[in-house]
Amino acid sequence: MRKSALLTLFTASCALAAPVAEPARYWYNMYYIWLVVAVAIYLIVVIPAIYFAVKYRYRKGNETAQHVQENHLLEILWTIVPVLIVIYLATQSFAFYRVQRNAPEGAFEIKVTGFMWGWQFQYPNGKQVIAFFNMMEDPQTKEYLPLDKIPDTAKAYIPAGVPIKVLLTSQDVIHSFYVHPAKVMEDAVPGRITHLWFQINQPGEYWVFCREYCGTKHSKMAAVLKVVPKEEFEKWYGGPLPIQGKQVSFNIQ
Amino acid sequence: MAVAGVHRPWFGATLKEWIFTTDHKKIGVMYGVTSLLFFLIAGISALGIRLELFQPGLQYMDEDTYNALLTTHGVLMQFWWAVGVWSSFGNFLLPLMIGARDVAFPRLNALSYWFFFSASVLAVLTLLPGNHIRMMWTGYPPISLNDNVGQVAYYAFIIHLLGASSLATAVNLVVTNLRMRAPGITLGKMNLFLHAFLAMNVIQILGVPALAGAVTMLLLDKYFHTAFFDPSRGGDPILYQNIFWFYSHPVVYVMVLPAFGVISEIVATFSRREIFGRKSMIAAIWGIAILGFMVWIHHMFTSGIPDWIKIIFSYTTVLIGVPTGIKIFNWVATLYKGSIRYTTPMLYILSAIFMFLIGGLTGIPLGLPAFDINVQDSHFVVGHFHYVLGMTVTLVAFGGFFYWFPKVTGRMYSEFWGKVALVLIMVGSNLFYFLQLIVGLEGMPRRYADYPPIPQWITLHELQTVGAFILAVGVGLAVLNLVLSAKFGPKAPDNPWESPSLEWLVPSPPPPHNFDKIPHMPEDWDPYNYEWLSKHKKV
Repeated sequence: MRKSALLTLFTASCALAAPVAEPARYWYNMYYIWLVVAVAIYLIVVIPAIYFAVKYRYRKGNETAQHVQENHLLEILWTIVPVLIVIYLATQSFAFYRVQRNAPEGAFEIKVTGFMWGWQFQYPNGKQVIAFFNMMEDPQTKEYLPLDKIPDTAKAYIPAGVPIKVLLTSQDVIHSFYVHPAKVMEDAVPGRITHLWFQINQPGEYWVFCREYCGTKHSKMAAVLKVVPKEEFEKWYGGPLPIQGKQVSFNIQ
Repeated sequence: MAVAGVHRPWFGATLKEWIFTTDHKKIGVMYGVTSLLFFLIAGISALGIRLELFQPGLQYMDEDTYNALLTTHGVLMQFWWAVGVWSSFGNFLLPLMIGARDVAFPRLNALSYWFFFSASVLAVLTLLPGNHIRMMWTGYPPISLNDNVGQVAYYAFIIHLLGASSLATAVNLVVTNLRMRAPGITLGKMNLFLHAFLAMNVIQILGVPALAGAVTMLLLDKYFHTAFFDPSRGGDPILYQNIFWFYSHPVVYVMVLPAFGVISEIVATFSRREIFGRKSMIAAIWGIAILGFMVWIHHMFTSGIPDWIKIIFSYTTVLIGVPTGIKIFNWVATLYKGSIRYTTPMLYILSAIFMFLIGGLTGIPLGLPAFDINVQDSHFVVGHFHYVLGMTVTLVAFGGFFYWFPKVTGRMYSEFWGKVALVLIMVGSNLFYFLQLIVGLEGMPRRYADYPPIPQWITLHELQTVGAFILAVGVGLAVLNLVLSAKFGPKAPDNPWESPSLEWLVPSPPPPHNFDKIPHMPEDWDPYNYEWLSKHKKV
């Protein structure tokens, strides 16, 4: 349903290893398409430029410039071709973005609230995790702790291989929730509810960063996602995952 | 058109004359000196930022100081350098290029400068401890409504002074350009520099009121308890972002269009031929100016705005790459069959074109939501606009300084040290900004005083800091070259580049009233007709 012809065409031709997390694959696709286009354009411009720069330098036999009138065919060509390229890029992005933006049906919904300076994760059954900035730093040196030294209480448990839909809001100022492995972010805006989705396939620990400037401790407003296999998550969560497709009732005030 | 008569040159003036002057050339020089001074202050704060990011952890300053430095760096670099420096070029060169004795409203012009100067004094005062402003140059509410970020009223006042100054200058230069061109200088014949400044000033007139409105509403929200943006009273913080970016996106074209104008002048002069596709260059300038007002939502792709609007603005955003591309293609085509002189200004300008290409190509994906969703507010964005502002605009400004240096001072700069400085600037800033792009792709968020000890990030940050210091040495050499040459440089001829553009046909430095009588430009004259000059050696 969400796969346009363009998208299928491209994903079929792009032999990428499955990324650690979704929807990072679509970001990578967009990235590689852009990279090829950008490098090609760079070379198409720079190589002739350097060639002209050397060949037509001021020297004996080339003291004066020759007159070249406008070349309309060339000018039309380098207007039309870039227009086609950028329209293709924007359309391709449109196709990818629909997947990146819309959570698969039956995604596990959690609510995340940003505050100065930390994150509150609320699960459908009422379980809560709070990641506060001072849990991210060494109490003495105030240096950032590496992932494995951060206390488990500051880690939000996430089941591996399950799509997660995050409903975001903020208590005070604008923050932004960036899921590092999934390569998606969305602002947490006070008075609004925004959303994003991700799915992490490989168990492990991953960063979440605040990406919108929010004051003194902005750079320590991180959280850690502890991604565990489904069974382990259920043990932590205290019951089975809400059945996919039949979402638990979960109202946001 | 010959200009005779003994005049005291502009720089021989007393302090009193400098303060009360309405001479566009003196005002231009004052703008230049002020913006160069602020460029150095902002550059030094950037070195502080880079030093802090060299290693994870907070070694040299606390977060509040870092945030204040970052705000200072952003505000000063954009308003005083990237925008302010063009006031210098516009004021000094525009009347000379159109054959006018001064701008249309000389007193208003002086007022503009003194508004700018007052804003500068206030901006310097924010550097004092206790006066720091820490809300970043964007000043997004609700964080800017928070008491912890410094005085919003102070910030708003600075913006208002700058806005008044920019508006007055813009009106002045547009009127001067449209009404005071000497006979024979038609719109079609006038320098591309003038077309670029015309479009840039129109953007200022249309856009500045939006920014002034945004900060005024912010001021009312914070001190008079209105509720435009404050969500705790029912306001909408996203509204601010819309109004703010409605001006603050077009303002990047205020920074870069004049740079395009300067590139066109210098490329044409040193290739000794007319700019290729001159009409399409003018069309591209206006295309950029108009499209520039239709793309601001790309700054807000992750702000929680409706999805459909992101798609519309992603198309308009990438389309702006087309006129920008046309300009680059035309500059490259101008080299074709030219007779290229590799003077210092030409080398700065060619480097700027190659760097602008990287800046432009890294800007395209930021208009694609599928890409932007990972790099919004990351160091990738920072790297992108540093390729455009930190390199393109700065290299062009310095190229322009060197190019018109003999005209302004009557002396010659040092070619050797100018080229040495360029090599250092290119090595340093590419090391710096390219790795900034990479660390951004790896996910490094911007405006972070500290970052987690991820090994790749540490290496990338260390190398960036090394690059930043190499860049600083290069910039220092270039500035030193300008300052010392103004005093000790050898005397320059009136027209060292043999350009028929009108500013080169008056003595260096130009006499107080530029032209003894208003020049009448003949039919075969054109600012890019390099044979005309050899046919009319004595005009």
